[in-house]
Amino acid sequence: MSQLAMTKHDTTGSRLINHWQRGVPVYREPVITPTLLFFAALAALGLVLAAVRFFSPLGPFSGMNDAYAWGIWKTFNVMTLTALGSGPLAVGIAAWVFNRRKLHVVMRTALVSGFLFYSTGLLALGFDVGRPWNFYSALLPWRWNAESAMLEISICMPLYCAVFLFFENIPLLLERFYYTGGDTTQSILRAIAPFLRRIYPFVIVGAYVLPLMHQSSLGGLLLLAGPKINPLWQTPFLPLLYLLAAGLCGLGFVTFLLLIASLRYSRPLDVGVLMELGNLLSCACFLFLAVRAGDLIWRGQVRAAFAFDKMSILFLAETALILIPAVALRSKAVRQTPRAVLKMATLACLGGGFYRFVPTTIAFTPAHRAIYFPSLPEVVMSVGYISLGIVAFGLAVKYFAVLPGAIEDWNQMSRLVHWRHPATKSEQGGTGWPESLSIR
Amino acid sequence: MNSAVTPPQINRRQVLFGIVGLGGTITGLAVNAAGSQHPEHPVAAPDAVSMLYDNTICTGCKACMPACNEANGLPPDTVLSGGIWDLPADLNSKTKNIIKLYQEPDGAGFSYVKRQCMHCLDPACVTGCPFGSLKKADWGAVTWNSSLCIGCRYCEVACPFDVPKFEWDHFDPKIVKCEFCYDRLHNNQQPACTAVCPTGAVIFGKRTELLAKAKDRIAAVPDKYFENRVYGEHEAGGTQVLYLSNVSFQKIGLPKLGSTSLGYYATKVTSVIYKWLSGPILVAGLLGIVIKKNWNRHEEESAELEKETGLRGQL
Repeated sequence: MSQLAMTKHDTTGSRLINHWQRGVPVYREPVITPTLLFFAALAALGLVLAAVRFFSPLGPFSGMNDAYAWGIWKTFNVMTLTALGSGPLAVGIAAWVFNRRKLHVVMRTALVSGFLFYSTGLLALGFDVGRPWNFYSALLPWRWNAESAMLEISICMPLYCAVFLFFENIPLLLERFYYTGGDTTQSILRAIAPFLRRIYPFVIVGAYVLPLMHQSSLGGLLLLAGPKINPLWQTPFLPLLYLLAAGLCGLGFVTFLLLIASLRYSRPLDVGVLMELGNLLSCACFLFLAVRAGDLIWRGQVRAAFAFDKMSILFLAETALILIPAVALRSKAVRQTPRAVLKMATLACLGGGFYRFVPTTIAFTPAHRAIYFPSLPEVVMSVGYISLGIVAFGLAVKYFAVLPGAIEDWNQMSRLVHWRHPATKSEQGGTGWPESLSIR
Repeated sequence: MNSAVTPPQINRRQVLFGIVGLGGTITGLAVNAAGSQHPEHPVAAPDAVSMLYDNTICTGCKACMPACNEANGLPPDTVLSGGIWDLPADLNSKTKNIIKLYQEPDGAGFSYVKRQCMHCLDPACVTGCPFGSLKKADWGAVTWNSSLCIGCRYCEVACPFDVPKFEWDHFDPKIVKCEFCYDRLHNNQQPACTAVCPTGAVIFGKRTELLAKAKDRIAAVPDKYFENRVYGEHEAGGTQVLYLSNVSFQKIGLPKLGSTSLGYYATKVTSVIYKWLSGPILVAGLLGIVIKKNWNRHEEESAELEKETGLRGQL
């Protein structure tokens, strides 16, 4: 209806359409570019260092010490980045529980990016723990200390990533095998597809309960640190706030990633979906801010929040980063303008990430005076894990139907890259898509 | 057509939820059976052992330091002394016990302080330790088990006294902290530091007895001791190492802490939500009902889209 009006707001040069319908692989643009190779080199460097770290004590490698026993691998790669990787949780709950049907089409972007954030975060954790050979205790429930938030995280996070998040990504893999494989592959996939569809709704229940548990437990971890964490952040509401921050970061990052990837690979944008995401992101930001403000008032920390000392300024910066997108995205004009949505989503990711990062680092004061600054190998490894995720995402959007597009894109793609066209009935004697993948 | 398919589906769903619920409950029960309670203000067990350190008696001879190293098989820390003798700067992975000197900025007065694990009544490190490597053992000693530790260092983050130390430069890193000379206690010996102390600045006994003794000393000479109170009686819910000091506790490096146990603060809400995993099971049930409903609708829409475009809906 207001296609023309929307185009007026479009300052990015992208085409605006209103029908993202399904995931379509990137087929016109090259994916293996110098930029991707650069990130691959960074990832290789990080992984080489990680391999060296495997045969080396932690000490010479990191700037960590007994007062700041957790470095950026935990505080940034896990605490902060898995919040950005909570897209599958946030978008999934919006789509499947609150029935925001428009968002189903962006689930794959959320799922792939979330899986990469989690798996690289867990990789970081694997090289961070000092005695990994004792981790088999995770399989022995009688050794579990049920009241430890660390136990909850160390079991729940790998389980979520390896089983539930992986399962949610399986349709992507099978779909590619189906369209590129031979007749045998197709008949095997036809046989297992109904089983996957049968269990899918039950598995996604687990895929939402588990991150609800461990994303809040990440905040719960900090409760035990008690007085070491500045009172602007130390609160019994830490688990809830960490969860809400994961929600807003998840929504923010999926929006950010969709826009960046669409611009990078010249994909047309769907303003309807962006407006939905922008609206939910704004709500998530307001919800977080309401709980944060209520908590500070309840604990009588309002004066400290506006004392304009170092901690107060940190708090105000963090709040501003979340408040600006919350307010701006209430405006329909902003939600209709991709560039503005991109900016607001970036701010929200920064603000939410900031909230998740600060309590374990800048607002963390050990009982003894000490300094922590990440060492060079620590930073290189951290950057390496992130680069690994970027490279994997670049390859994923090329080889799998991740990024959303229109039906015409799909049809054009399947002609150009020789994916069997699903609609060519003569070839397959059916709809092309395995009949058994259909519901009935 | 739909009605013919629906009844067995509902049954299967009920069975599945039943299995999930039952399995979760059993696991939850099994897990919670091992869990302990966290009162806001824990009470020491009658047989809880204790150490009382009085810095008005300590002469700073440091006899306790080599005694500790010998009893625990610790190497000397020779970094500061240029490789000659044991001279640690603070508690570290080679030092479980240290005598430190506090000097007033104007140089007028000084005090010693002995630092080691405080053996809290409700230790934050034990509450946080994921696989129970750190535990509150006999007589309330907080001990560490190398075969259960994964090296996550949550104990270091949790301890309000910054006591547990990690062997950063070892391939097989251990958590190093005073374990109240647990083996000596089992041999009916007192800890090495209290056994060797020539002046009685640090003494060993039952917590109830030493707390009474400390209060007697305060009553005998009022205003000799800072705030006329015993540090460790209530700090972080109470500790089994008690301090008397003639200067501010904060000046000698003992942090200002409330009287609430950190374990109570950290688990008072989650222990209710995770009791028998009831919270997660409840959420799973609610989500399951809503998702299944929306799933069915989504599948119908996919089927319509399929008819329209010839393309199946994607998951």
